[in-house]
Amino acid sequence: MSGALPRVRLDRVTHRFGDVTALDSVSLDVHEGEFVTLLGPSGCGKTTLLRIVAGFERPTEGSVILGGDDVTRAPAHRRPVNMVFQRPTLFPHLDVSENVAFGLRIAGVPRDEIRVRVARALALVRLGGYEGRRNYELSGGQMQRVALARALVNEPKVLLLDEPLSALDLKIRLEMEAELRRVHRETGATFVYVTHDQREALALSDRIVVLNDGRVEQVGEPDLVYRHPASPFVARFVGDSNVLAVEVEAGGAVARIAGHSVPVRSDGIPPGPAWLVLRPEVVRLSPPADEPGLRGVVRDVSFRGTGHSYRIEVPGLHDPVKAEMREGGPFALNDEVALGWDPAACRLLPRSADEP
Amino acid sequence: MERSHHGPFTGAVTAAALLFLFVPIGVVVLFSFHSTGGLSFPFRGFSLRWYEQVFGSPEFRDASLNSLVVATATAVVTLPLGTLAAYGLSHTRSRLRGPLALLFFLPLTLPGLFIGLSLLVLFTEVEIRASLSTVTIAHLVYVFPYFMLVAVAALNRLDVALEEAAADLGANGWLVFRRVTLPQVWPVLVGGTSLAFALSFDEFIITFFVIGADSTLPMFIWSTLRRTVNPSINAISTLLLMVTLVLFAVSFVLTFRGGRKRGGAIGGEELMEEALAGETFGTGTGTRT
Repeated sequence: MSGALPRVRLDRVTHRFGDVTALDSVSLDVHEGEFVTLLGPSGCGKTTLLRIVAGFERPTEGSVILGGDDVTRAPAHRRPVNMVFQRPTLFPHLDVSENVAFGLRIAGVPRDEIRVRVARALALVRLGGYEGRRNYELSGGQMQRVALARALVNEPKVLLLDEPLSALDLKIRLEMEAELRRVHRETGATFVYVTHDQREALALSDRIVVLNDGRVEQVGEPDLVYRHPASPFVARFVGDSNVLAVEVEAGGAVARIAGHSVPVRSDGIPPGPAWLVLRPEVVRLSPPADEPGLRGVVRDVSFRGTGHSYRIEVPGLHDPVKAEMREGGPFALNDEVALGWDPAACRLLPRSADEP
Repeated sequence: MERSHHGPFTGAVTAAALLFLFVPIGVVVLFSFHSTGGLSFPFRGFSLRWYEQVFGSPEFRDASLNSLVVATATAVVTLPLGTLAAYGLSHTRSRLRGPLALLFFLPLTLPGLFIGLSLLVLFTEVEIRASLSTVTIAHLVYVFPYFMLVAVAALNRLDVALEEAAADLGANGWLVFRRVTLPQVWPVLVGGTSLAFALSFDEFIITFFVIGADSTLPMFIWSTLRRTVNPSINAISTLLLMVTLVLFAVSFVLTFRGGRKRGGAIGGEELMEEALAGETFGTGTGTRT
């Protein structure tokens, strides 16, 4: 353990709305300067968690500690955090510079200093010269950049971002991702980011917290979460995956699937039921040879620029197997193909016998 | 442009209905400028003699002044009280929100006769002497729900996220209201206030029950008419009509246009539709999730 206190510590935070448990004993440390993303499908509790940190919701149980201070019971306006909301929430009766200055004015910062800091914040989000603009004179991306400046100008201990890009067009979204990374680098601030977009999470974060049904499924660096998903849920949610039910055979290097033996890497999973996680880009298709092995029929092909994407129907498997090939093939619809993979690139996860 | 599918019959009925509505008003206004005492056609030429006569009358001046005082007092008290009540009602997370809203708006459906009579009984029971104060109290009861209707509709339409953003930036409850909520809804509040003034200024039935020895402008018109059919009534009615029209126009513009001009947080037509659809009465949480 390092001696420094975490910027944010969530200690067994549980939140219930009536009978619904939105968060179930979530604990998490976010460190100084980190970019942490809370990732999960809608309804997983990620936004509720962010709102608990911001002070808009009070957790049913557990505590929120910011830089060593327990703020669980502190109202939003007394917390040293600032938020960028999903929809642009610029004050319609104020212009850009007045919006950015809002927090500083409330805090009673002297006028001259406000002017300097507002100018610096607007320059940071590349909106110098937009001071006098109104809401309706800005694009969606510009509004979110103003909201970002309005939050950052207060030099918050933690910046909270609640799906700030989800309302934007794809092209603007990609630009804004780059902007966010740059702003994070230049300010060295601590970011807690919420998204349901796994691609965004992988692209932006130092660490990802995958949430499902109010519980933490996995915490780790994007690379680790992608390569070593801790659960079938993470495997399916982060990136695309084939998650296949298999029986690991004694010895651990071979598993039975749909009546065939396939090579696996045991990962310490004992013989018996397990999940086999195969990323589509790991699956290799080849013309069927004479030797026995897993075979299927191409049911869908689409061209993806860098290669082809396939869906293969395999007798005995419920779902088609997804495959992405950069080279080899291309195979046509209804071609019979053999499926293979590098055992080192696949992953086994524990499965109880009653799971399908 | 969408062309009308309606035939000449529809047009004729519409014209007839509009004539029915506005010809009597037009006749009153026209004859207020009549040069003779005649109250029927033929029209014999224009003069301002009836206006001169009216303005020369001390009773008219007293009644007008009383109406002004009562309407101003009603408006001045309604604005802060109504704003507080509307703010509370639109921001509460309480389960009582629906029932409370119903209680606040229910007086809209009560006949003036009933309000007047019940207040008369109340004032008699607690031995408050009928005066302009009792009229003002009665008018407060009468105009309050109208103000609430307008104010709650506007406050419900505000984006809660804006208030959260302000709190997130360090503003406490008062500063959120002062710096974010009020700047967005003040035109509607002022509009509601002038509506309250206008409603009070020409209220008759409730006033009739609780007024005592004083007179207001509508009371003065009524008592004058009881004595004679005097052409100066036309002049007084026209003046009353002008004041009311101007105030309703101000109220309308501020309520339904003002919000839009200041950044579009409150769209006029939507707000009106919502008010008419009775969403303001609803128990639903609306945008507050």
